[in-house]
Amino acid sequence: MITRSEILAPKVVVALGVGLLLVGSYWGLAKAPAEVFMGDVQRIMYVHVPTAWNAMLALTFAFVCALFSLFTNAWKWDNRLEAALEMGVVLSLLLCMQGAIWAKPTWGVWWDWDPRLTTTAVLVFAFGGILALRAFVDDPAKRAVWSAVACIVAFADVPIVYFSVRWWNSLHQAQSTPATVSTAFHWPLRINAFGILFLWTGLVALRARVAALRLRSEIAPPLPEAVQEGKPATPSARLSGGAR
Amino acid sequence: MTGVVEGGWEFVAAAYTVTAAVLAAYATSVFLRYRSEKNRAAVEARRETGR
Repeated sequence: MITRSEILAPKVVVALGVGLLLVGSYWGLAKAPAEVFMGDVQRIMYVHVPTAWNAMLALTFAFVCALFSLFTNAWKWDNRLEAALEMGVVLSLLLCMQGAIWAKPTWGVWWDWDPRLTTTAVLVFAFGGILALRAFVDDPAKRAVWSAVACIVAFADVPIVYFSVRWWNSLHQAQSTPATVSTAFHWPLRINAFGILFLWTGLVALRARVAALRLRSEIAPPLPEAVQEGKPATPSARLSGGAR
Repeated sequence: MTGVVEGGWEFVAAAYTVTAAVLAAYATSVFLRYRSEKNRAAVEARRETGR
């Protein structure tokens, strides 16, 4: 049974995230100074870099959920895995779109097959593929195991994406962190990073509840007509989100 | 030619608009799916209790 406060909490966290994003974006667009070489175009950093950090975090959370799902066999970890996978793919796709918009005025092209961009594209297709796999497998138990294993394998690309700019000669700049950018840019960067963090954690919590409700109807479907008419029922596995 | 990118506000506007649109669209889809699943669960619960 889901209580009212359990649903209200994700909504409050999402609202907090939206509020922080509005403040951080206003700061980045109107208050922060322009960068010395990239000028105003650098303001894209205040949404692009927080999106990158949070995409990596969401996919790392999916990896943790996959491990717990395999080792505990609890449905709640599979529900969280589904939610985190979807959020990670959305953030990674958004990351690619923002990157293309930033690349055009600075590199002169929308896309380049450089190591960072290529490994990020692999990331989107790998995790997008796991979501497709989940959509095609009808058996909830098989779906949980297969997608958890696939997620653990696909996660190998996450550190490769992060370190690609150090390991290979990349057109993409090195990782932007508070240590590598000017102090004048710190606050909008941090505020937007926390904004997106709150937003996705709230959405993942809510999306996991959607997965839980769907699972409940899958593993305990409505009783057939014969049973509803009072005839004897065959035993059915009526699980409510516990162990598989 | 100064080596400094000049202008570019249209790209900044595009990046922020795309970000807002994608996040808003995904958030809306999650809320709508939650409402739809909750309603379906309520209908099924009513059907079972009214049996």
